[in-house]
Amino acid sequence: MFTKADYMTVAISRMLVDNETVFHGVSSPIPMCAINLARKTHAKNLIYVNIPGGVNGNMPKYERTSTAGSDLLEGANSYFPLSEVFDLSMRGKLDVAFLSGIQFDNKGNVNASVIGDYKKPKVRLPGGAGSAVLIPTAKKPIIWRTKHDKRTFVEKCDFITTKGNLHAIVTPLCIFKMKNGEIYLDKLMPDVTLEDVLKNTGFMVKYEKVEHMEEPTKEEIRWLNMIDPSRVREMEFS
Amino acid sequence: MSKIIDIKKAVEQIQNNSTIGFGGNTLNRAPMSFVREIVRQQKRNLHVIKTAGGMDVDMLSLGGCATSVDAGFVSYETKYGLANNYRKAVQEGRIKANEHACYTVISALRAASIGVSFMPVKGLVGSDLIEANDYFKEVVCPFTQNRYTTVKAIEPDVCVIHVQECDKHGNAKILGAKYDDVLMSRASKKVIIVTEQLVLENKFKNDPTQVDIPQLLVDEIVVSPQGAFPNACYKKYGVNDSNMKSYLNIRNLDDLTKYLKALEIRDYAGMRR
Repeated sequence: MFTKADYMTVAISRMLVDNETVFHGVSSPIPMCAINLARKTHAKNLIYVNIPGGVNGNMPKYERTSTAGSDLLEGANSYFPLSEVFDLSMRGKLDVAFLSGIQFDNKGNVNASVIGDYKKPKVRLPGGAGSAVLIPTAKKPIIWRTKHDKRTFVEKCDFITTKGNLHAIVTPLCIFKMKNGEIYLDKLMPDVTLEDVLKNTGFMVKYEKVEHMEEPTKEEIRWLNMIDPSRVREMEFS
Repeated sequence: MSKIIDIKKAVEQIQNNSTIGFGGNTLNRAPMSFVREIVRQQKRNLHVIKTAGGMDVDMLSLGGCATSVDAGFVSYETKYGLANNYRKAVQEGRIKANEHACYTVISALRAASIGVSFMPVKGLVGSDLIEANDYFKEVVCPFTQNRYTTVKAIEPDVCVIHVQECDKHGNAKILGAKYDDVLMSRASKKVIIVTEQLVLENKFKNDPTQVDIPQLLVDEIVVSPQGAFPNACYKKYGVNDSNMKSYLNIRNLDDLTKYLKALEIRDYAGMRR
């Protein structure tokens, strides 16, 4: 049996293409695992960068409290910190950035800022971190979110922290992609029905055909359990 | 004159209403002993600057010390959830949240570090943050006529940076990730180094390139062993889970006072040298 986190991690890993330069930021256990899985399987020459600046460091093996700590420097072959990753993206040379948010709509708008009014918010959210500059500039911005419900996938975002240019949105239910400025359903997770997605999405879901993501392979799961034996990838679901 | 000063005196000199930048990132190497002393001394109306804040911003919010926070992100990471004291203060109108992209904080500090009043930021397009905040404005490049968003410079009155090693002159070395601390030391009017330990001045002489913040930028040095506790300090200690949890259970100022009291011996340890 696979968990939702297994599916999301494998789905994201498969989106990464060999030789791409890939960045994740804070609070990012699933992208961190997915990048390291891809480095072990189909994309051995990924260039993995992160906030502390360790390029191609080792995946830490113990229980994690931060995905921005200096332990990501262990085993790294060079130092290239956050400010430089941003600069790289501004120059158009960052391939993949992982970002998240709390509301998404069918135009590819992302809200990581507030629920309600910006100046007098009902709920103040953590903020978009790098999103507002990375989503417009990275070649393949990938959103992941472990909640998929009508409060997350909404008709209209309360606030637009950033927008457009999304390569994919990965959730426990499905993978969305973008075409002509609109979100569409690309693939369902293996254990999910179309009905599940429709009833948990606040906007009208467009799709051309209904396909499921292929189940994780034995090799993927073997490597995933090897790089992440303490199942850090499950943390976002607790 | 010695730059070494005890933590109480260093905090006494922090003026109410000042703009104060903190080093570190989320749960990593935040100057927590200094933050705790700010709360004990009940500083008020501080304008906090940080790319990605966590417990530092949250505790200053609970303690009623901050009235604005310029940051790209304020939260604990996955394991410890959201920075609820900060959120509550913003939602109740006690703190003005000046949301940035982390990069626009960096750009604003870069502007201050080179003595100009703004910095163009290429990537910030299509965001509601531009209209919602008065520190973002558009300019037209005089050479190409391209339009750019710019961010207003941020020049902290003072910045507080926790490091693992510093000599008595203020030459400071950060082990592991430096985050935006080196930049912040160049952008601020006054620099306070909080150090795990004082090292001999010969330590850096065989390789001066290992100094991240040179003495010419440093105004004061506070010795504070385990000063980032319960946050992590690379090569010294990790996040202290039980103390994090006891802090996160605090719901009111009385409990915060008790929590701070219990850490006094630890925070004042550097004064007994």
